[in-house]
Amino acid sequence: MSSQNPSAASTKSPGASGWLAIPAPLARLFKRFPLLTYPPNELPVRSPRVRDVAALYVFISDQDALNGLPSFNPSCLKWQTFLKLAGVAFRAIPSNNHASPTGALPFLIPPSSPNSFVSAKPIPSTKLEQYTAENGTRKISEISSLKLEAYEALLNHRIRNAWLYALYLSRPNSALLSHLYVAPVSTSRVVKTTVLYQLRHAAEEEILRSIGALVVNPERLYDGAKEAFEALSTVLGSGEWFFGASKPSLFDAAVFSYTHLLLDQGLRWEDRRLTEIVEEFSNLVEHRNRILQRYWG
Amino acid sequence: MALELRVWGSAFGLDSIDPECLAAVACFRSCIPRQDWTLIASNDAAVSSEYRLPALSHKGNWVSGYSDIISYLTKHGILHIDDDLTPPQRADTLACASLLATRGSGLLAMSLYVSPRAWVEMTRPAYSSLLPFPLTWTVPPAVRAAAVEKAEHLGIGYLAAEVDAEESSSAGLVETTSTGFLRLRERLGPRKTMQPEHTAAIRFQHFAEDFYSVLDDFRGHKTFFLRDDKPSSIDFLAYGYLQLMRVQTPHPILKNALEKSYSRLVVFVTELRSYGDNEELPWREPKARGALGLIGRFAEGSIEAIPGVGGSWRKWHKGGVDTRDTYDVRDPTQLIIAVGGAVTSVVALGAVALFRALPPFGASAHRFEAAREDRAGLRQFGEIGSILDGLPI
Repeated sequence: MSSQNPSAASTKSPGASGWLAIPAPLARLFKRFPLLTYPPNELPVRSPRVRDVAALYVFISDQDALNGLPSFNPSCLKWQTFLKLAGVAFRAIPSNNHASPTGALPFLIPPSSPNSFVSAKPIPSTKLEQYTAENGTRKISEISSLKLEAYEALLNHRIRNAWLYALYLSRPNSALLSHLYVAPVSTSRVVKTTVLYQLRHAAEEEILRSIGALVVNPERLYDGAKEAFEALSTVLGSGEWFFGASKPSLFDAAVFSYTHLLLDQGLRWEDRRLTEIVEEFSNLVEHRNRILQRYWG
Repeated sequence: MALELRVWGSAFGLDSIDPECLAAVACFRSCIPRQDWTLIASNDAAVSSEYRLPALSHKGNWVSGYSDIISYLTKHGILHIDDDLTPPQRADTLACASLLATRGSGLLAMSLYVSPRAWVEMTRPAYSSLLPFPLTWTVPPAVRAAAVEKAEHLGIGYLAAEVDAEESSSAGLVETTSTGFLRLRERLGPRKTMQPEHTAAIRFQHFAEDFYSVLDDFRGHKTFFLRDDKPSSIDFLAYGYLQLMRVQTPHPILKNALEKSYSRLVVFVTELRSYGDNEELPWREPKARGALGLIGRFAEGSIEAIPGVGGSWRKWHKGGVDTRDTYDVRDPTQLIIAVGGAVTSVVALGAVALFRALPPFGASAHRFEAAREDRAGLRQFGEIGSILDGLPI
């Protein structure tokens, strides 16, 4: 061995492959060290351990996710509630938009059987309704009225704009906004300031784009939301669920996602105008309590 | 009672190029006596504080946007069409208006603004005929950019490029592979044989039909949207949108879907049109904008069009969403912006000063130095001397 090595090195060194060959002294040095293989790293604490239950990725704090509490984001809460209404078993997992294949939460990863190595494809929120229809244990009422779409537009237009203003742009609610969306991102002050600025900017763009004006007065937004809640209250009337259905539907979940977050005592709203507007309509408050008690209790 | 309604001017044979303006004009025409109002095609959104048309001026108050104008007039007892609505009807009105403002305006944006052919052949020339000279360069692109954003916001923006790619790809029927051979189209199924622009057109049509069916359902078998005997404010708004959807565009998907499958809505449009058509519109010429005003507006538009800068400038200049609410909270970002602005301007000034102090590029630099007489020591003995000079002697 020792007699062969120097001769091999001396024959190779003038050749073209001399660049790639390990010089003999180094090779000898390496041979002195045994190859050590470390054990595989442990999975991160937040990675899914139980894969036999569907996982819904939402905006939620770690603590609330463990306790099975509602998300603080309306579009996440809408689907979270809808899955509960339909009796789909799932776990909420804290996440953010960057984790989503579509760029927006929520998305759902269906349960995978332990034997299959093919990981289940994530389901974006647009296809959750279909998934629920296939996997739900309870029947969800289908609203046949086409008016539903118009009322959805009402929710996504007027109420969403007022919500965006109240949470993101209204200065008294800054503390709440930071608590919900900014503080979990980072502990660095610079990052936090940047994220806060970006969130506000995005919310403002969204409101202006949806209204089609260049200047928007918050009073108008709140008035618009008030009219919208009034319309919803009229449509609900004295019935249990919207559009006279015998069971709650997706629309009930959508309304609940806003009314619950506005009425929730756990969220510290400083600018309480939107909350006060909802409180004016007792049937909407009862509707929220009904869903909270029956399906979240 | 002097009501002054300012709108976008007429185009495509309609009274206005904008659905809400069209709705406002139709509503005023049939519900307010002619001597009580004037109509001005000002084409200048800056008159109202919210920068949108239609805008109504009444005793020094400016209101803008169709719904806001209607609620203002109703509150002041000038307009009575919505007075006897029941609460469910009011709720329906609101929901339907939201639907028109989101889905309806998204569809219109797609067919008139986002689609490149419609924009080049119809909408842009229409705006050019409405606007005075230099503004034709700044206003229409801004309007279009807003429409594109709206379509993207609704998630239908991706259809645009494909719907309009029809010419380019049908012209390129002969496709070649990278080696120059003719490529035969795979014919494996409908999905493969269809061009992407066809699938996009089908999806767009589906979207449009969805929208029409909701409107149709709202109307049911009534003459108007909410009742049989007389129109209410929502009828005029729907009329405004439907009229613009019936405009013949290069790819008349909206028009065809409306006229083929939803003829009842077409009947509604013609009926409402005849409702107040005998009235002549009280048009009045807008005040001529001075040259200075024009140049100012042009400069404004140009600055807003600068990428990266335009958005923040517009926000600073026009206001965006007003956050200085009844709740007055001092905002630390104001201070940061002020300090940052000051620092930036000082740096910019310094850079300018430095730049002016530099010699012009390309000029050869001359240095003048006094010749040194250094002929002491061993140096005076030529080359050898200078070598030996460094030696420590």
